[in-house]
Amino acid sequence: MKYLLFTLFALNLVILSSCKEDEEVGTVVINFKAVYDGEPLHTFDTKAFENGQRLQFTLLTMMVSDLELLKSGGVESLDDIELVNLSFADSVSAARGYTVTIHDVPAQTYTGLSLGIGVPEDLNAMVPADFPSNNPLSNTGYYWTGWGSYIFQKTEGTLDTIGNGPLDLGFSLHTGSDPLYSVLQGSPTLVVEDGKTLELDIVVDYKLLLAGIDIKSNPQNHNPQDIATIQAIVDNLPNALVLIQ
Amino acid sequence: MASCHDTIDDDLNEGKDLTHIPYSPVLYAVNLPEDYPALEQPSDNLMTVEGIKLGRKLFYDPVLSLDSTISCSSCHMSTHSFTDGKPLSEGVAGITARGSMSLVDVGLQYHGLFWDGRAATLEDQALMPVEDPIEMAETWEHVEMKLREHPGYPEDFRKAFGITSTSKIDRYLAAKAIAQFERSIISGGNSKYDRFIRGEIFLEENEYNGYLMFFDKAPSVVPDAECHHCHNAPLFATNDYFNNGLQESADFMSFGDPGLGKVTGIFTDNGRFKAPTLRNLVFTAPYMHDGRFNTFEEVVNHYNSGGKYSPNKSNLLYNLHFTEEQKADLIAFLMTLTDSTAVTNPDYQSPF
Repeated sequence: MKYLLFTLFALNLVILSSCKEDEEVGTVVINFKAVYDGEPLHTFDTKAFENGQRLQFTLLTMMVSDLELLKSGGVESLDDIELVNLSFADSVSAARGYTVTIHDVPAQTYTGLSLGIGVPEDLNAMVPADFPSNNPLSNTGYYWTGWGSYIFQKTEGTLDTIGNGPLDLGFSLHTGSDPLYSVLQGSPTLVVEDGKTLELDIVVDYKLLLAGIDIKSNPQNHNPQDIATIQAIVDNLPNALVLIQ
Repeated sequence: MASCHDTIDDDLNEGKDLTHIPYSPVLYAVNLPEDYPALEQPSDNLMTVEGIKLGRKLFYDPVLSLDSTISCSSCHMSTHSFTDGKPLSEGVAGITARGSMSLVDVGLQYHGLFWDGRAATLEDQALMPVEDPIEMAETWEHVEMKLREHPGYPEDFRKAFGITSTSKIDRYLAAKAIAQFERSIISGGNSKYDRFIRGEIFLEENEYNGYLMFFDKAPSVVPDAECHHCHNAPLFATNDYFNNGLQESADFMSFGDPGLGKVTGIFTDNGRFKAPTLRNLVFTAPYMHDGRFNTFEEVVNHYNSGGKYSPNKSNLLYNLHFTEEQKADLIAFLMTLTDSTAVTNPDYQSPF
């Protein structure tokens, strides 16, 4: 079953549940996958883009935060922060995706899934030096000193602007800053059973993510005073992400 | 009944007793600049005064090499901010394939060491040059024997690691000691940039313009030099690997030096190298993994040009169209990253 993930503007209620020793628990596996027009997307794979152009992707990453299962009266936190790297070199790896495995999830019926694309405000106010090396937020390559913000998504590649020429226009589209943090939510019924694994796919369609984006005019977009392009990418997120059970 | 031969073997296996030497290591107090991340130490190799002392001796001692001519310091000289001033480093048996990387702040590098990331930790890295046929051309078995029979090292190993006999001196303890010393090599936090960030001083106008370009802090005023994406503060490195357009290659398989790709086995990683620290560039020429650039100007001209074509050249490299003044401003800012503290600190220099 596929479910579109829609943008949630309200703040999530966070009620952390405690795990009793004899509580029934299961495992949740979430596979993040990149596709383009429905097909597994790997790097350096030439794709048709808008207006007769062609492109290849070289780097596809996103900070995913507050990954949570929704339940009556609150949430079950799965993962605080994850740097999801969808830059696979071949289609087999791309089809497999980037996997997050969470053990000891209380077994019960959940009402949906919620995730943030980017870094929530309280963490975004911190800097990489505040975090241990095994935390994605310690990565200075994902911090924008000029913006005072983490980089939420990196979508990089090369563009052939005429459709049959060289892919020689490099582009680096980086999103970030507090107003562009998005919380997406889907509301399928998700059942975690004792001793069993619930496996979900979250699929990012990069054709939909870049729909309507004029890469040619603004290929290097990481300027805090020029957010039209990255705002458009963020606006496309609800349409581009699908939850598959 | 034991034979004489068996008794001699037993003595060799047991080694000389060291228990008469006191073992009371003192934990080393790490002193970092205030905006630095924490220095993470492996739980089985915490830094001690005694461990660092031993590691410093081993670092500067050519006993690790076949002909006793090459030590770690031969390629990592304190006077060159722990590089060697050569385009390609030289070992016992000739010239290696790459230049040496600076060891300043190396303890804060958590995602691979060497230009191609082939060593996961400092402890892993310290094991490799000894048996490299060009670098030190030795065997660890022979080094272990030399250390065990040395007039001074057994006591140092006892004081550092509490071993009870010389037979316990091995390559792993030697590597641990060297790693402890290397972790202690920290930039002093006294560069002009550091003092500026702390609000203690102002930068000159050209330095400040370069600072704005480096970090893309004023896009409507000065152009974005794209530097901080790969060389971000406070370490001016990002622990990541990039193809910065040095090698021209029509495809993924034609790089002269595959770099990271040889280690990961992923062809799209070919031609990628670790982004090194930009601190103390004044001391670390020549630049890049093969030392091809001798001056700041050559480096800036390279990036300004957008580099050479290869399919996975970083998309952050493109023709920047800098004026001569803008290039000079960027270089002026790079000069503010100079801190001679690590270069002149007597704790980091040869104890011999």
